[in-house]
Amino acid sequence: MSLATRLRPGTLPVLLLALLLVAWYAVANWSPKPPPKPDATWTRIVSQGVFRIGIDPSFPPFETDDGKGNLSGLDIALADEMVRDWSSALVTQTIRVEYVYTGFDGLYDALKAGQFDAILSALPYNPQKTEDVSFSHSYYNGGPLIVVRADDAKTKSWYDLAGKRVGVELGSSGDVFARKWQGRLKYDLQEFNTPVDALHALRGGALDAVFTDAITFDDFAKTASGLKSVGDPLSNELYVLAVRRDTPTPLGQINAVIDAMKRDGRMERLQAKWF
Amino acid sequence: MRDFCQSVLRVARTLSLVTRHSSRLLRPLEILALVVLLYWLGAPPPILVTLGPRQTVHTSNPKMGVHTRLTDEVEEWKIKKTLELVREMGTPWIVDYFPWGYIEDDEGEFDWAHADLVVDHARQQGLTVVARLGFVPHWARPEGAVTSYLDEAHYPHLANFVREFAARFKGRIKYIVIWNEPNTNFEWGYRPVDPAGYVRMLQAVYPAAKQGNPEVQILAGALAPVLAPPGATDAMNDLEYLQKMYAAGAKDYFDILAVHAYGWKSPADEPPSADRVNFRRTELLHDIMAQNGDGAKYVMITEGGWNDHPRWTKAVRPAERIANTLRAYDLCKQWDWMDACMMWAFRYPAPAQTYQDYFTFVTPEFDPKPIYFEVQKYATK
Repeated sequence: MSLATRLRPGTLPVLLLALLLVAWYAVANWSPKPPPKPDATWTRIVSQGVFRIGIDPSFPPFETDDGKGNLSGLDIALADEMVRDWSSALVTQTIRVEYVYTGFDGLYDALKAGQFDAILSALPYNPQKTEDVSFSHSYYNGGPLIVVRADDAKTKSWYDLAGKRVGVELGSSGDVFARKWQGRLKYDLQEFNTPVDALHALRGGALDAVFTDAITFDDFAKTASGLKSVGDPLSNELYVLAVRRDTPTPLGQINAVIDAMKRDGRMERLQAKWF
Repeated sequence: MRDFCQSVLRVARTLSLVTRHSSRLLRPLEILALVVLLYWLGAPPPILVTLGPRQTVHTSNPKMGVHTRLTDEVEEWKIKKTLELVREMGTPWIVDYFPWGYIEDDEGEFDWAHADLVVDHARQQGLTVVARLGFVPHWARPEGAVTSYLDEAHYPHLANFVREFAARFKGRIKYIVIWNEPNTNFEWGYRPVDPAGYVRMLQAVYPAAKQGNPEVQILAGALAPVLAPPGATDAMNDLEYLQKMYAAGAKDYFDILAVHAYGWKSPADEPPSADRVNFRRTELLHDIMAQNGDGAKYVMITEGGWNDHPRWTKAVRPAERIANTLRAYDLCKQWDWMDACMMWAFRYPAPAQTYQDYFTFVTPEFDPKPIYFEVQKYATK
């Protein structure tokens, strides 16, 4: 027996009418959720016009100090883009960056102590720190890459390296990865004292591939041609910014700029400039 | 297990009878008994860890060692696994930390369980244990004082602990290091460093240790390699400190000098110099021993090595770290006054999340790093 036949005559229209009334009331009284109130840190950044960044300026090409207090590097350019975007959006206020020099190991503690608003210092994403800080979207992946000669059309991933000659910097993350897969792929693993030695050996034909980090390869490729990277990084080392967990507004603003830069090509141009 | 189930069912049946004839308020007890039973049945069985057969370390360099960090390792299987990996790397020596405050948390009451566990597993793997003692218990220091603070009034308490320790591990531990880096004020209770005060500590401890075990060898020093200028408030230059130890009469109150030999950015072979912190600074400390008529004593490196953090200012590239470490082990083998050479640090129970993680040979998840395999290759060649 259906529900309609079990109900008394006339009950169904009343129920439907009641439902319609409820729906009408809900629609009539709906209003979009107001945006969350900016947190105190963002309010201060806007009111004072200063975005304070913790940095260890000893890691070119991301950040370096020329000895006279002049900073340069990809991270510096990224911070400039951020405050430029924010200033444009705010119209009434110009925001500038103030850098707070801190040793790399002290960055998290100094952030938590409120000595600056964010860490921007080629900082790798660290899932074990997410209880303490919030991380931005990534703007660079520094994980190890597979590098082959430019005329190599066959190698697409490490699976294609079975039985071939693979070079790594002894002890590097590429070496760690290569040792794990060596037993299965049976490649001839050759270790070098520096990644540059391995890349030169690849160019000279003594190797078929090199596993090396993106920063080294990008730097090498600036002055030496004939090599390319293929496939995805062998492991991720995502560079991010970090903010305190109680500052969601700056985090949202940082992510908005990073996402916009990825969309409109600025991030690619920035990386091309500094690598 | 069957007995336990039967007991629980018997209790439940009894409760059921009782409740049938009395208040229904007892029903919750039946439910509770059932919950306890289900919880007990659902709990995973404890991991069975046994000492296993007695092992031997195969190595081409019997002076090689590492500093393990088992003090805060809780699970027995991890202790055993760590020590198995040490043995398989080919390093027959370990030094580990046995905090006084963990063992004698209440004065006169000793809890040896964890120390026994570490020592027994280490010995079963064929390893020789060097025990580093320190960490003042709460009852032996003023309220609020750090655990490296020990005033002279409490030296007899430390001596008593060392006597108990030496006696407890007689036949299992022959080497005991007294204190750590007393030439830094951080390790001296944030007080001005005091070589004579440290010597008075040794004078209190040394005879007590020998009472506990006449064969025990007392290691002193374990000085931090620092270039602090005279009068510095945070530390004293290790060379100056050792000389002042001798001036205060240390000679008869230790058997072996413990040395911390870090290379920082220097290669292992870099010649020693008073104004450089490098691995061969160890030779300068030995020279001071000889100058004080103590050259016949042995030296042990109880900490040392290189770091390969990509950003730390005192770190080197991973390949340099490997080459330096192997060369350092070679140097130790050549030095006829060197007993053993233990590098910092084999593995941490959990990531330190700092540059310290780049001193290790094995990750907290027991993944050996390339340096582990290279040391193993060297030790088994």
